[in-house]
Amino acid sequence: MKKYYLSTIVLALLFFITISQSVHAQTVAKEAVVKVEGEVLKPLSLSLSDFAKLKHVDVTMKSREGVLQQYSGVPIFDLLRLAGVTVGKELKGENLTKYMLVRSSDGYEVVFSLAELDPSFTNRVVILADSKDGKPLADGVGPFRLVVPDENKPARSALEVTNLIIRFAKD
Amino acid sequence: MQIESHYKKFTLLLVFVAALILVAATNADPVYTDPYKLEYPDYFGNRISIPDHNPTTKQGVYLGRMLFYETKLSSSKTISCASCHQQKLAFTDGKAFSSGINNVPTKRNSMSLANLLWVRNFFWDGRAKGLEAQAIIPLNDAHEMGAYLDKAVKDLQKTKNYPALFNDAFGSPDVTKDRIAMAIAQFERTLISANSPYDKYLRGEYKPTAAELNGMEMFMNSAEANKNIRGASCAQCHGTPKIYMELFHNNGLDSIPKDLGRESLTGMANDRGRFRVVTLRNIELTAPYMHDGRFKNLEEVLDHYNEHIMPSKSLSVTLQNRPNDVDGKSLGLTATEKANIISFLKMLTDSTFVNNPKFSNPHIKQK
Repeated sequence: MKKYYLSTIVLALLFFITISQSVHAQTVAKEAVVKVEGEVLKPLSLSLSDFAKLKHVDVTMKSREGVLQQYSGVPIFDLLRLAGVTVGKELKGENLTKYMLVRSSDGYEVVFSLAELDPSFTNRVVILADSKDGKPLADGVGPFRLVVPDENKPARSALEVTNLIIRFAKD
Repeated sequence: MQIESHYKKFTLLLVFVAALILVAATNADPVYTDPYKLEYPDYFGNRISIPDHNPTTKQGVYLGRMLFYETKLSSSKTISCASCHQQKLAFTDGKAFSSGINNVPTKRNSMSLANLLWVRNFFWDGRAKGLEAQAIIPLNDAHEMGAYLDKAVKDLQKTKNYPALFNDAFGSPDVTKDRIAMAIAQFERTLISANSPYDKYLRGEYKPTAAELNGMEMFMNSAEANKNIRGASCAQCHGTPKIYMELFHNNGLDSIPKDLGRESLTGMANDRGRFRVVTLRNIELTAPYMHDGRFKNLEEVLDHYNEHIMPSKSLSVTLQNRPNDVDGKSLGLTATEKANIISFLKMLTDSTFVNNPKFSNPHIKQK
C-alpha cells in the first residue's frame, strides 16, 4: 500500500514537471545573439543585453537613397580583441591571410580581411550596430547589423547579422 | 662464422616480415575507384560541397543512381526517390504535395534536384547540412518511404547485384545506411544543369529574342524610379549565373503563415515564413510553385511578386519598397514586362539535363 502511495506521488510529480516544462517552453522566445567564432581564443555569444554593456561609438552611413543616417554600435575591432583574434600587434605574417566571414540569419554572407578592420591599418571604423538614430534597429535589419562607412555600395553592411567567423584563407 | 650466418638469416627474416607487414598495410586500402569528373562552367564558380569522406567516384555514382531509382528502399516496394523527383520534370513531380507510402501528403512541395553541388543546407528550411544528411531523411520518413531504411539494408544485402556494387564503390560488400546515403549523395552531385539557352547565351552561342533580352534585363535590374530605371529585382535573390544563391526569405505569401518555415527549426521570430530561395533553373518544368505549390503557373508567380506581397514583420527587405513608379506601392510591372520575364525564365529550361541518359532509371535497361 505504502509503495503504491509513493509511486502515485512520484508519478504526479513527474506529470507536473513535464507540464511546467512544456508551458515554460511555449512562453520563452529564443533570444537573438551574435556569435564570434572560428580562429578565436575565446568564442563569444552576445545577446542584446550583453552587447549594450560594451563601449559604443557613433558612425554615419548613407542609406541606399543617399540619406545620412547615424548608427551606434561596437567597433568590430573591439569584438575581435574580446574574442582573442590576432589583431593589433599580432596582425602580421600569416595572420594577414585571415578573413572575417559575416553571416546573416537569412544566409547572406560577406567577407572582410582582418586588416580592413584594424585601426593600425585603416582609419575607417566598421561597427556592429544595435541602434539607429537612437532607436533599436527595425525588423528585417536588426537586432544587429554591420555598418561600413564610406563604401559606394551598402552591400557589405549586412543586415540581421548572426555570426562573425574568423578563418584562414586556404587553397 | 656460424653465429654470423645466424644473424644473416635473422636479418632476412626481419626484412621478410617487414615486407609482409607493408604489403598487408597497403592491402588495407584496396578500393579501386575511378574519380568522377564533375563538369560545369567556370561561371558557376567552385564554391562546391563534397565532404572529404565521400569523394565522387564512377562506382559510387552508379550505385547512387541505382539506389535513387530503387523501389526496394520503401516499405511498399513501390516508391523510390525518383517517384517525387522525376527527371523529365527537372526532378520534381508536378504536384503541390507528394503522396508517399500511405497517401498522406508531404508537408511541402517536392524540390527540383539541379546543381545541388552548390547547395550547403538542404530542404525548404535548410535543416540538413549536406546531401548525405539530406538523403537519409525521406528514407526514414514514415509517410514518404515508410521508414524502411533499416529493413532495406537487410533486403539489399540479400540481393544478387547490390553487395557487388557496394564492394565496387566502398571496398566491401557491406550494405549500410550511411553507404546508401553516401552513394545517393554522389549521384545527386552529378545532376548539373548548365546547357540551357541562357548558358548558350553566356557562352556566345545563342542570340536571345527581344522579349527574352528585355526579360533578362528586368530580371537582373533593381528599379530606381527616380532615375527612370526599370527592374523587377529578381536577381537580388536569384542572381549569379547559377540563378541561385543560398538564402532563406519570407517572400510575402501570407501575413500569418500556416507553415512557419525556418522558424520551426531555429525558434527565431525573424525566421517566420522563411523558406529557401530556390534555383530558377528549369523553372518552366517545376510547377506548381512555392513551398506549398500554391501557384499553378509562372503567370501566377509574377502576379504575386508584382501585386500581392503580404506584409509581415519577417517579410524580406528586398521585397519592400522597390516600385518602378515614383510613389508606387507595388512593383508596378506592365503586362508586357511580366511576359518578357517569363520568356527569360523559359531560357533556363535545359533539355540536355532532363534527357541526359546518365541521370535516367538504370533498372529499366536491365529488363
